[in-house]
Amino acid sequence: MSDSIIGAGPRRIDGRLKVSGAAPYAADHYPDNMAYGYGVFSTIASGRVTNIDLSEARRSPGVIDIFHHGHFPSLYHTPSSMMQGNKVEETRLPFEDDRVYYEGQFVALVVADSLENARAAAYKVKVSYDEEKAIANLDQGVKAHGTQKGKGNHSRGNPGASFESAAHSIDYTYATPVETHNPMEMHATVASWRGDRLHVYESSQGVLQEKGALAKIFGIAPNQIEVESPFIGSGFGSKLWMWPHAVTAAAASRETGRPVQVVVPRQQMFTTTGHRPETRQRLRLATDNQGRLVSVRHESINATSFTDQYVETCGSVTKSLYSCDNVLVSHETTRVNRGTPTSMRAPGAAPGLFALESAIDEMAIEAGIDPVEFRLNNYADRDESQDLPFSSNHIKDATRQAAEKFGWSKRTPEPGSMREGNEFVGYGMAACNWEAMRFPCDARVSLRADGTAYVTCATQDIGTGTYTIVAQAVSDVTGLPLERITVKLGDTSYPEGPLSGGSWTTATTLPAVAEASRKAIEQLKSHATSGQGAFSDVAAEDLSFENGQLSHNGRAMDYTEVLGAQRLASADGEAHTGGADTSKYSFRSFGAHFVEVRWDPGISNLRVSRVVSAIDVGRAINTLTARNQVEGAVVMGLGMAHFEATDYDHRNARPVNNNYAEYLVATHADQPEIDVILLDNPDYEFNEYGARGIGEIGITGMAAAVANAVYHATGKRIRELPISKDKLMEGIPEPQRA
Amino acid sequence: MSDHHKDDGSRVETFDARSPSRRRFLKSMGASGLAAATAPAWAQIAQASQSQAEPVEPRDDGAPGEGEQQIQLIVNGVEHTLNVKPNAVLLDVLRDRLELTGTKKGCDQGQCGACTLLVNDTAINSCLSLAVSHDGDEITTIEELSQGDELHPVQAAFWAHDAYQCGYCTSGQIMSAVAILNDDNIGSDDASVREAMSGNICRCGAYKNILAAVQDARGKMKGAS
Amino acid sequence: MREFDYARADSARQAVSSHGTNEQAAYLAGGTTLLDLVKIDIMRPEQVVDINRLDLNEIETLNDGRTRIGALVTNTALARDERITRDYAVLSEALLSGASTQLRNKATTAGNVMQRVRCPYFRDGVSPCNKREPGSGCAAIGGYNRSVHAVLGTSDKCIATHPSDMCVAMAAIGATVQVQGPEGEREIDFLDFHLLPGDTPWKEHALKENELITHVTLDAPIQGSRSGYLKLRDRESYQFALASSAVIVALEGNTIREARIALGGVGTKPWRVKEAEQALKGQPANEQSFQKAADIVMRDATPYEHNAFKIPLGKQAVIRNLTTQTA
Repeated sequence: MSDSIIGAGPRRIDGRLKVSGAAPYAADHYPDNMAYGYGVFSTIASGRVTNIDLSEARRSPGVIDIFHHGHFPSLYHTPSSMMQGNKVEETRLPFEDDRVYYEGQFVALVVADSLENARAAAYKVKVSYDEEKAIANLDQGVKAHGTQKGKGNHSRGNPGASFESAAHSIDYTYATPVETHNPMEMHATVASWRGDRLHVYESSQGVLQEKGALAKIFGIAPNQIEVESPFIGSGFGSKLWMWPHAVTAAAASRETGRPVQVVVPRQQMFTTTGHRPETRQRLRLATDNQGRLVSVRHESINATSFTDQYVETCGSVTKSLYSCDNVLVSHETTRVNRGTPTSMRAPGAAPGLFALESAIDEMAIEAGIDPVEFRLNNYADRDESQDLPFSSNHIKDATRQAAEKFGWSKRTPEPGSMREGNEFVGYGMAACNWEAMRFPCDARVSLRADGTAYVTCATQDIGTGTYTIVAQAVSDVTGLPLERITVKLGDTSYPEGPLSGGSWTTATTLPAVAEASRKAIEQLKSHATSGQGAFSDVAAEDLSFENGQLSHNGRAMDYTEVLGAQRLASADGEAHTGGADTSKYSFRSFGAHFVEVRWDPGISNLRVSRVVSAIDVGRAINTLTARNQVEGAVVMGLGMAHFEATDYDHRNARPVNNNYAEYLVATHADQPEIDVILLDNPDYEFNEYGARGIGEIGITGMAAAVANAVYHATGKRIRELPISKDKLMEGIPEPQRA
Repeated sequence: MSDHHKDDGSRVETFDARSPSRRRFLKSMGASGLAAATAPAWAQIAQASQSQAEPVEPRDDGAPGEGEQQIQLIVNGVEHTLNVKPNAVLLDVLRDRLELTGTKKGCDQGQCGACTLLVNDTAINSCLSLAVSHDGDEITTIEELSQGDELHPVQAAFWAHDAYQCGYCTSGQIMSAVAILNDDNIGSDDASVREAMSGNICRCGAYKNILAAVQDARGKMKGAS
Repeated sequence: MREFDYARADSARQAVSSHGTNEQAAYLAGGTTLLDLVKIDIMRPEQVVDINRLDLNEIETLNDGRTRIGALVTNTALARDERITRDYAVLSEALLSGASTQLRNKATTAGNVMQRVRCPYFRDGVSPCNKREPGSGCAAIGGYNRSVHAVLGTSDKCIATHPSDMCVAMAAIGATVQVQGPEGEREIDFLDFHLLPGDTPWKEHALKENELITHVTLDAPIQGSRSGYLKLRDRESYQFALASSAVIVALEGNTIREARIALGGVGTKPWRVKEAEQALKGQPANEQSFQKAADIVMRDATPYEHNAFKIPLGKQAVIRNLTTQTA
């Protein structure tokens, strides 16, 4: 069993719930007497609330209470520390004062007896503002008040001098817009107080961080709070940290004495629950006359909010992907009137690799070398930023395998040289890269007398398949079939598990679950060999356990009988496993995307038609769900490359496409042919399963691969995402200026 | 249809946070699907289990209140008499009043398809429908598709093909797929299915697997339903 | 949504009478526009008159060869009707390119005609918008005006596109709109139905306050013609047109006997271009003729900050579609 279940592809253990509509998401909970909160959101991006007229709203049917900065309990700030387990991204409390820092900020919350009554009343709240000039975008921010130093900076060698003396060089600036996570499920909180205890259903990628933050904010002990998030309609980073709506729900519940549900409307999913910030990235690369990189500089600025500094670490990969003695990576931020940004799938790396891998393509062309060959010649064999070996790095193999399957050899390098009918065909590629991380984790496994195993861990399954791989790990250790393993996640009453983010859930959780399983078996053996046990004459260490059977010298007994005979409910194991030891190795995942695009200049239509991705993430625990992760990331990467941007009015910082019709994500019809190759090189330096995690890597490099293919098809180098048709068209007249 | 998945109930436990008077019939769950869960004592919540399975009482008490109108909705074969305000939305009435939470709200603006269900066998966005204008209509939601433990071929195919990630758009995807597969006017080729399904956004991007599931179910629905 | 009164009408006459002269009354058909806008508080009807039970679901071929479509025929039903697919392919294709399967299942013929603009400044409830608040200004001018803003038929009061695909096909085909009012029925030429924004962008159509659309009647098809709809957008589906063309063309040999051209996504109303049609008449069906027609289409176009690309894109929609229909 052990050999087959890890790395196999069983369908999900929670699949029946999902296909039946029975998986409970946050807003599917209806505690008795629940009231509905509906927000009133600022319609200016900068200024003050001068008056809130509630006269009409109060008369509206079903209204219970209306909260705003003049009527809201006094709460506390959280220190917002991930290490302490109380991080939030937007540190300002809702209704803390009359200030408005971004459009779509909570300025009031109406609580009523039904959703329709709450919404109707919210529309009747009349808010007056004293509007100030807003900083509407990154350029305006830099111009108005310059930049602040960020984090994650790095330098080695002398990149300036080596650039000047190099044989070939490029110097280009790339830009990425605000992208919004837009998980299908809108953020939702159902909060209930019973006396001084708070219970919250939240759509959360990190129930423990939310619990910690709520404890600080409400000034109560963490053990007075329980947060549950058994299913979430995904998050992509937007649900890592609690956002203001949850505080409004919890406070409103306490004040009204009723459970309160607050769902963030789709429009405000663009404003008050984070986004990937706008970036500008200058890339200066140089090679010697052999095409070896001699200088790499990646300088990035991202927009952040006026309340918090969020740094998009665009150069995080640039430090180590390629071998180069002279490297500079720097990050700076500038403040704009938008909500606080947050991590979005592959933070830093996704926009960073758009810039880096576009620049590498440009550098290869400048040096007259095939982009694949250029990369193979320059990939680093060790992490030069830390002077450590990689635990496992198969990027060359990934690149070669993907190139072969894609048919890269058929590419003629000249732009616009491949044509089929009305369409120009372009081939492009880029590397993928993401750090592998692993954190401490607790888990508990009970082998129950009814023949099942019961597993708990306060991590979450955000759609990646965590429920299933946890069961696979328990099955691997105990030999129990998946049908007899119950997995419970997403509840702060369980042993401490990781945030579901950063692609670290698998690597973090499985070792703890496996260790807890082994400890449960140890306890089982201890029960069996105790005075009353069925194997009282045997030493525990001589007893073996396989496929649910305890045995010694040919005498075997099902473990359920052993427990039953002693009238024991279960044998239990609790484990704590540590984080990765990063002193000996640099742990990263690698891969390559190869993309075919088709450009029809007669109707200015661009489409991504084919993608081959080879991914080196160590061992994939479940090939069915792992492949799905990469395919989904490719689709999101395609969207990032081609469609996605939250646009703001440059005059007042108001978002202008904050809805699902005009913020374009890929649809079924945009789906290209996708072929994912999962390399299978277990990384046992990282953990016993050899798994490094797979959620983020598929989106990294994807936008650059598309941009590089677009260049090959059209001869146009697009350095600003998204690659919309207007950027590729000829003959566009000068606009009339207002 | 194939029934190899009948006995393989999910093992992710969950519970139903509703008072006994408001609980709903969780008929689609297998015996192992909704094992009793440990709920915090303070929450005083009812736990869904087989023994408690019973339909939500279909009738509102008494005459319509001020500004309300009385309507009949035939939801999943059960007639419900409800007093609703004119501005109550079909999606919200199904979720908040009948507690049929399988149908999801993704945008509330007809832009994502998560709320797709069938009205008189036609797929529509329930977020853009007034409940009051559906008086007398037959409404089919995801909860109705499976027969006891036996999943509908489309549900089974979604499970087998991993045609989801987070699962939030899944009800809508499945309801659209059922409508499309029962519609002779929609071509059976991949491109036609993709276009017809494009009103159902999957932000996780599981489109490849969804297409595979729909095409797989197509074969299995012949002769069934 | 705010509260409103709701009444269901059993006849067109009763609907008109229920609606009365109440400026705050609205007819509810498929609801895909109305409820969307009520939900975001842009429309605030006090009275909603549900017309879904009216007997307006028929598609009839009239004796004079025209086709009369009931106001409540859904977009799906209309697109699939065999008379439409046979005689008016352009209409079927336009309908199927719009919105999504689910929305087309609800959306009606009359509702589609009455669609309102997608301009974010109209929809945000607070920006200056002459449609929403006459006299307040037009925030789209000088603002973000890429996808849903026009280059044709704009004024300094409003530049929002009419979002419909169906109406573009109807404009090309030629049609009349039958309406029921308190004084009885009347007809409006389809091309006169939607109004240019001019100085009064809040006046969007030729209906009087309480008139109800009962039918749209398509002109008889042009014998021996081919027709098609080409919609250009960013993603492959479920997006309003950046530029689209409805083309009907009849050839004699390789000479264009008759042509109809209308555009979507670029105009403040469904944009029929008779001058370009005239220019094609008697010309050979070749790229040069098509280019000339396309140039005429966009001759008076006004590019704004973010949508200037729609001028070449609109031309491409015309040229490619004509090329396809004459191939």
